[in-house]
Amino acid sequence: MSVAVKLLVMFLVLANAAIAIFLAVAYSTHHPVREQHDVPQRGYSIRGRWFLVLVLCLIASFAASIPFYPYMSATSALGPARKVPVIAEQYAFIMPSRLPVGKAIIFEVTSRDVNHDFGIYNPQGHLIAQVQAMPDYTNYLRVIFHEPGQYTARCLEYCGIGHAIMAKTFTVGDK
Amino acid sequence: MVLTSDNTSRRVMTLYMGTGLALTALMMFAGLMLRASQAGWMPMSPGQFYAVLTLHGAVVIVALMLCGMGGLWILMRRLTSLSASTALIAYACIAAGAAAVIAATLFGGFAGLYTFLAPLPFYGSWPYWSTGAFLIGMSLITIGWMAWCMQMLGAVLRAYGGALGALAWDFVWHRKAFDASGRPLPPPEAFPALMAGFDGMLAGMSAMLLGVALIVRWIDARVLINPLWAKNLTYFFAHTYANLIIYMLAALIYVGLPYATGRKYHTSTALVVGWWCSMLLTLTNYFHHLYMDFVQPGSFQYLGELSSYLSAVPVTVVTIFSALMLVWRSGMKWTLGAIFMYTGLIGWVVGGIGAEIDATVPFNTHLHNTLWVPAHFHTYLVGGCVLFAVGWVFLCLESRSIRRTGTLMRWAVGLLTFGGMAVFLMGFYCAGAYGAPRRYAIEPPPGPELAKIASIGATVMIIGFALVFAEGVRLRFGYPDGDATMRIGQEVEA
Repeated sequence: MSVAVKLLVMFLVLANAAIAIFLAVAYSTHHPVREQHDVPQRGYSIRGRWFLVLVLCLIASFAASIPFYPYMSATSALGPARKVPVIAEQYAFIMPSRLPVGKAIIFEVTSRDVNHDFGIYNPQGHLIAQVQAMPDYTNYLRVIFHEPGQYTARCLEYCGIGHAIMAKTFTVGDK
Repeated sequence: MVLTSDNTSRRVMTLYMGTGLALTALMMFAGLMLRASQAGWMPMSPGQFYAVLTLHGAVVIVALMLCGMGGLWILMRRLTSLSASTALIAYACIAAGAAAVIAATLFGGFAGLYTFLAPLPFYGSWPYWSTGAFLIGMSLITIGWMAWCMQMLGAVLRAYGGALGALAWDFVWHRKAFDASGRPLPPPEAFPALMAGFDGMLAGMSAMLLGVALIVRWIDARVLINPLWAKNLTYFFAHTYANLIIYMLAALIYVGLPYATGRKYHTSTALVVGWWCSMLLTLTNYFHHLYMDFVQPGSFQYLGELSSYLSAVPVTVVTIFSALMLVWRSGMKWTLGAIFMYTGLIGWVVGGIGAEIDATVPFNTHLHNTLWVPAHFHTYLVGGCVLFAVGWVFLCLESRSIRRTGTLMRWAVGLLTFGGMAVFLMGFYCAGAYGAPRRYAIEPPPGPELAKIASIGATVMIIGFALVFAEGVRLRFGYPDGDATMRIGQEVEA
C-alpha cells in the first residue's frame, strides 16, 4: 500500500467516524425529548473518558512520530555520504543529472533569489522527500535512493508565475 | 429572550457580515475559475492564474474575518460597551485595504500570493506599483483589524474587571470567594472575544512589523530582510488570523445552538480552561508551517507538532462535545439555520483531522505544499466558517420571519451544498495524498483529472448556495410589519 493510500485511508476512517457520531446525535433529536438537566451526568462522564483517551492518543502519536523526523542528527551528518549541492533559482534547479543508488546522499539546498522547495518525486510519481530552498540559508536533506530510475525534483514553494514549470529530472543508478 | 431591538447593533452586524458573505460568494466563483483552469476547461495564462489566486486567498481571509468580527461584535454589544463609531472606522480601514488588494491583483497583476513570502514580492514580473499597493492594502486591513481587536479587548476587560476577571481566574481557582463576591461571570461567547482581542493584537503587531519592513524594502531596494525571520512572522500572523476566524465564528454556536435547541449553554470550569489552552496553543502551533525549513531551531519543530496536536483537545472536548450534548435528545427542529450551524461543526472537525495529519512531521514530508493543504483549510473554512456564518444569518431570519422553509427545499439545499462540497473537497484530498503540488497553474497527473471532478463538485455546491441565498431572500420578505426585534440569543439583562 503506497503512502498516498495509507494517508487517505487514515483520513477517511477518522473523518467518517466523526461524521457517524454527529449523525447519531442528530438522529437522537427524533427520540423523545429529555430535559437538559438529565443529560449532563452521563455526558460529563463520557467527556472525561474522551479527554483521557484523546490526550493519551495524541501524546503517543507524538512520541511515535519522533523517530521518523527527517531532520539530520549530528551523527548522521558526520557519517559517510555524498554531498550534492542544489541551487534553486527562478525557475530551475542547478544540480547533477545522475546520482548513485543505495548510497547516502546529503543534498545541500539553497536559493539564489526567492524561497523555493526541493521536492523529490520517485519514478512512480510519489513525493518521497522535500526541503525548503531559501536565500541566505543552506538546508541539508539526507536521502538514500533504493530504486534506480528517473526521478523528478519539483518546486513546491510558490516562487513566481513560472512556478509550475520549475522541475528537473535526474537519473538514479546506471539506467 | 431580548436580543435585540438595538438597531445600531443590527446595522453594524449586517454591514460586516453582509460584506463578508458577498465577498465570500464572489471568491467562490474565483476559486471555481482556478480549479476549472487546472482542469483545462478555462484557459488562463499563469500570470492571470496567480493574480486571481492571490486575490482569492487574500479576499477570502478578509471576508470571513469580517463575518466573524460582525457576529462577535453583536454578541458582545449586548454585554459590554462597544462603540459603533470605532467599528465603522475599523470597517473603513479594512474596506480601503481590500480595495487596494483588489486593484493590485486585478489591475496590477500582482501575483505574490496572499502569503507574499519575502523576498518574492520584489522578484515578480508584475509592475512595481502593484507590489506597493498590495502591501499598503494588507497593512490597512491589519490596522482595521487591530482597531477592532483593541476595542473588543478593552470592552471585555472593562466589563469583567480586568484580565483575571475576563479569564474567570477566580471562578476556576477560588470558587467560593468568587461566588461570594457577586462579580459577573463571563458568558461562553466572552472567551472567544477575549481571545480574538488578545491573540489578534499579537498577530496584528507581527503583521504590521512585517508590513512596515516590506514597505521600507519596496521604497529602498538596498534594505535587506532575513527570509527566515520574515517567514516566521508571515506564518505567525497568517495562521493566527485563520484560527481566530474559526474561533470568532464558533462563538456564534454558543448563542445559536442554545436558541435552536431551547437549552442553555453556561460557563463551566472545563470551558474556561479550554479557552485558556486555545489562547496559548494558537500562538505556538504555527511552527508546523515551517517543518520543511530544516534551519529552523529543532525545538520549534517538536513544539509545533505537540502544540498542533494539543490544540485539538479544547476544541473537541469542550466546544464540540458541549454542542453535541446540547443537541442530544433536544428535539431540535432542523431548520436551515440549525442544519448549517450543526454541519459547520462537522466541517470544523473533519478539517481539523486533515490538519492534524498534516501537522505530523513525517506525514508533512509527503503533504507539505501539496493540495492536501488547501483540502483541509477549505474543509474548515467552507464546511465550517461559512456554514456558521450562513447558519447564524438563517437563525436570525427564521427568528423573525413568518415563513418557514419546506422539507423539499431543505433536502435540495442539503444534497446540493453538502454533496457538492464533499466531491469538491475530496478532489483536493486525493490529489494532495498523491503529492500533487498546490499553486500549480498547470498540474502534473493526476492533478487535472481530479481538478475536473473537483470543479463539478464546486459547481454543484455553488448552485446549492444560490438556492440558500434565494431562500434567505424569501424568508426576509416574510417579516411581519412593525416588528423590529430579532429574537435570537440567550436572555440578557438590559
